[in-house]
Amino acid sequence: MNDRLDHDFMNDESRRHDRDDVALGAALRALPASTPARDAWPELASRIRRRNVARKAVWFTLPAAFAAGVALTLAWPHLHRPVVPPAFTPVATQVSSHAATPPVNNIDALQASSQQWQAWVQKLDRNGAPLDGRQLTQAVALQDRIGLVDLQLSAARNSSTTADLWQQRITLLQQLGLLHLQPYLVATQRPANGDHLISM
Amino acid sequence: MLVHPCSVDTPTTFQQTVDPDLIARLQRGELAAFELIYRRFERAAWTLALRLTGRADVAQEVLQDAMLKAFERARQYRGDAPFAAWLRKLVVNEALMQLRHDRLHVIEVFDDTLAIDESPAPWMHADAATLERALHRLPDAARAVLWLYHVEGYTHVEIAEQFGRSVSFSKSQLARATRRTRELLQPQLQVEVTP
Repeated sequence: MNDRLDHDFMNDESRRHDRDDVALGAALRALPASTPARDAWPELASRIRRRNVARKAVWFTLPAAFAAGVALTLAWPHLHRPVVPPAFTPVATQVSSHAATPPVNNIDALQASSQQWQAWVQKLDRNGAPLDGRQLTQAVALQDRIGLVDLQLSAARNSSTTADLWQQRITLLQQLGLLHLQPYLVATQRPANGDHLISM
Repeated sequence: MLVHPCSVDTPTTFQQTVDPDLIARLQRGELAAFELIYRRFERAAWTLALRLTGRADVAQEVLQDAMLKAFERARQYRGDAPFAAWLRKLVVNEALMQLRHDRLHVIEVFDDTLAIDESPAPWMHADAATLERALHRLPDAARAVLWLYHVEGYTHVEIAEQFGRSVSFSKSQLARATRRTRELLQPQLQVEVTP
């Protein structure tokens, strides 16, 4: 009997709380919308225009860089020297194991690693075999993404975001480097199904 | 000081459809098209950011950053959900990111040993301004969870994912927010409430 009374009491309590919750939801949804104190559009439009200008600058430099790269690859047999990539992952591993706000010296390490990878990619770009049309498209896409990361880095406000962006930059550079190595890998391995070695 | 162009006719919610042509223009990077979309969703996005963060200066940043992402990622919008829902998600993500970076690491622990309050729900009779003040006085996590659950329709699982916490975290924060709101709206209890 007591169990039954307890059960009924609990059900009543539960129903009352559900009713209160529904009423709270309704009251919150009925709150009037707010209006920002100032018009944020001019500032937003200005930020977008600045970013567009920066992006166009990146795009403007790409054809010139590729033209130079193509010209240099024509002289490839005379220029070829073995290019050794930087060691894979130590900085990435260190940083990813840290808390949300990595110390500045980790960002320095990521920057240094990024520079190493960039130098490696530049060497490959200068001395490597020419890319086919699809690889070239992939390279342009990767460079575009690196350009975007650079833009985001210039606007990053905290160390956690900055570290993430540097890590992204390193990953993209690694992908770009591997893309430049693809002609050799394809030449030596020649997979039967013709699949590309890098999935983008 | 720039004068805000919002009028009383400006839409205030995300319950709006956007013309596919306008979206296509946005995806081509047309700033004029984006301004039209921005104007339509500005108040809704601002209100959502303000409700989640509880601070006008942070809400302003959220509005700017979320809208900037909307412009830059417009080409990623596939049309499989309403554009307004996609935009609202960007605002929620941005607001929670701000909270995580700024203050949310201080999460108050819910004490479930306190007695259940049997008094009638005070929000049934509270005016909007009083309820809004109470909302702004809630701890950050509790306020955000309360709003996401009751107004944006998130489930506890979705809230837990957004916060990177457990489902019980979401439930306890909601219970805490409800109880604290009740306390804040009952004048005789306010002296016991820590702001």
